[in-house]
Amino acid sequence: MVSVLNKVLTVFCVLLLVTDTKHVFAQGGDKEGEISAVLTPHSSDGIFSSTASYTFELKNGSGTPQTGKVSYLVTTEAGKKVKTDSVHVKIGARSSESYNFDIPITKPGFYKVNFMVNVSDYDDTTRKAFGIKPEEIRSQYAKPADFETFWQNTRKELDNTPPEFKMTELVDSNKKNHKVYLIEMKSLGGLTVRGYLTEPVVKNKNRKFVVLLGLPGYQVTLGPMMGSDPEIAMFTLNIRGSGNSKDVIDVRRDSYILLNIEDKNKYVLRGAIMDCIRAVDFIYSRPELKHENIIVAGGSLGGYLTVALASLDKRINFCSAANPILSDVRNLEHEVDWPIDDIHKYVNTRPGLTMDKVYSTLDYFDAKNFATDLKCPTLVGLGLVDHIAPPNHVYVLYNNITQAQKHMIIFRDLGHEIGKKYNIYEGRWMRDQFALF
Amino acid sequence: MGKNIIFMRAGGCAISLHCFKINIIMSLFKTFTRFLFLTLILFVISKNVVFADGGFPVRPGRLLIAPSVSYFFSSTQWDSTGIKKPFPNGGKYSSVGVTLYAEYGISRRFAAIASVPYVYNNYMQNIAPRNTVTSGLTDMETGIRYYLANIDFVYYFSLQGTAVTPLYTNNASLGYGEEGAELKLAFSGTGSLFNRSTYFNAADGVRQYFGTNGPIQNRYSGTFGMTLDDDFKNQLSVSLSGINSFSDDKRFISGIPETNRNYSFIEASLSYGYSFSHEIALYATGGKFLTGNNTSDGTIFSLAFIYRLDYR
Repeated sequence: MVSVLNKVLTVFCVLLLVTDTKHVFAQGGDKEGEISAVLTPHSSDGIFSSTASYTFELKNGSGTPQTGKVSYLVTTEAGKKVKTDSVHVKIGARSSESYNFDIPITKPGFYKVNFMVNVSDYDDTTRKAFGIKPEEIRSQYAKPADFETFWQNTRKELDNTPPEFKMTELVDSNKKNHKVYLIEMKSLGGLTVRGYLTEPVVKNKNRKFVVLLGLPGYQVTLGPMMGSDPEIAMFTLNIRGSGNSKDVIDVRRDSYILLNIEDKNKYVLRGAIMDCIRAVDFIYSRPELKHENIIVAGGSLGGYLTVALASLDKRINFCSAANPILSDVRNLEHEVDWPIDDIHKYVNTRPGLTMDKVYSTLDYFDAKNFATDLKCPTLVGLGLVDHIAPPNHVYVLYNNITQAQKHMIIFRDLGHEIGKKYNIYEGRWMRDQFALF
Repeated sequence: MGKNIIFMRAGGCAISLHCFKINIIMSLFKTFTRFLFLTLILFVISKNVVFADGGFPVRPGRLLIAPSVSYFFSSTQWDSTGIKKPFPNGGKYSSVGVTLYAEYGISRRFAAIASVPYVYNNYMQNIAPRNTVTSGLTDMETGIRYYLANIDFVYYFSLQGTAVTPLYTNNASLGYGEEGAELKLAFSGTGSLFNRSTYFNAADGVRQYFGTNGPIQNRYSGTFGMTLDDDFKNQLSVSLSGINSFSDDKRFISGIPETNRNYSFIEASLSYGYSFSHEIALYATGGKFLTGNNTSDGTIFSLAFIYRLDYR
């Protein structure tokens, strides 16, 4: 009996393997004998004015004619069905057919679209996203009336905390062309936060450096960073609870974003944002750094902190935010898993705490609410299939920037990341802005 | 533009079940500046070496000083119908020029330029006077360049206003002896070819001399250059430049360039530049007239020394 069972299992496994292998081949390309599909959006950045259009090409490299259908399903970011359609297809042996799809959408926003092909010997789904008139996307949720007052008071509290800057040369970390310093300073609540400053070694002792302030992603540890550019000093900051700034706050990775979320005056990001302002205080304390040429840059939480800092501290001269999270927070429900699911779990364990109360806190930390007061040139990057910083949320932030020169770079096929094009543009714009010709 | 300097990487992070990876690479695209820093768009027009950063803006506080020496010679000329013929009486013209060019970035938008040329001309023929020598300062040029706009920080436009001031009187072999003014629009950009960084510059200026029959001229140039190595030490560029000069005075006065008022020519030049450091570079240029009208057919060689210093 066991032997029979073993044989059955073996045959099953082999069948599974064969089936899986066939599927992989099917997706593999247009080699002879294979069937493959190529979806081409008719927009380089996936943005359309009113009608999203695609070409779906089906290549049949096999010797068997294929019949079936190609269909699409458009949903909102939250998964609500918006539109669907299909066409019947018939592809002869060793030939290919192309099908054009025009998807008219009137409501501005970002949408997910799945293209499915189901023919005789091949099934596949290709997932894409597109935007319709994103410049018209707005949030229905307003900024709290006392938003500015809240942050002015927080800033006063920081100003009343003596910074006690300490700068220690890390001789062992020095490189041929750079000196590395450990920076320590007191921030809001008297917490010590740390970072690293790297300065190019140059002959001219009176030389002043442009400063790049790099802010960390979620629970990312930043170390000293250095490049080959003799004109730029780099200050990487580890906010409270990150990297080497965990003296007081040292929590599990999941818990960090939930820390004191029930109280806007104690929420962890309140202190984290002040840590960033303290870093600018440090830059201003150094005579060898150009105080009028400060660029702040970061991705994900770093992008969020970048926007918050540049909004609250007008000493920032250029802002570069890639995939900034926590924008239009109230609308993140059903659109992202993180951090909404963790917040729900947290709320469920706290008697008396409600999601509405949490949102009342987060309103003061919503990136879109900081964006309205941005006044320095701002570059924003997003991935169209980003499931942590969804494009419609990033666009709400972007559209709220009304008082500053701004530019958005969209990566049609990327998730929570940006491409090289962004880095190149960032460097060029920064250099132009600071006249580093 | 092949290279960018990546200097920062904020690493990945994972959040329990919702694992995601952030791979934000912040970089400053350095090639652009580095390229310009070591590159001076240089070409010859007529018998003068011309420097220009073209459409590219100049860094505030940067002073560029470029002394150069050139040798121009000619023994043939084009008449008013474009027919080339030898100078009469076996004439041969040569000119050694020394030019001091300076450029200073005043602000992000404005730069000042100045150019003072000195020439030593020699015309020889087989009848008396067999040898005629003239020398002296010629037309000084002073101007302001304005950084107009850019396209994606790759293509740059500038507008330059230049005053032409003669530093001599009554010496036709040095120039018209008239003041003039020029307005020039320049367009420059960077790119890459065969894995090498390239740049181009296209400029067109209209110059008016203020005097009797003072010509109005269209002065144009196009330059394409590329680096020959990854360190931006060696570069090569080719240029095409020309002048169309219009005046009621259509006489052919002499084979000495730019003594005639109604003339035209097109000239090609090839430059090789070597950068010793960020501050110092040397350029060698050779140029040849391709076609003309009412002017001489000449050849020029020049050597230019570039020194850049940042004061801010």
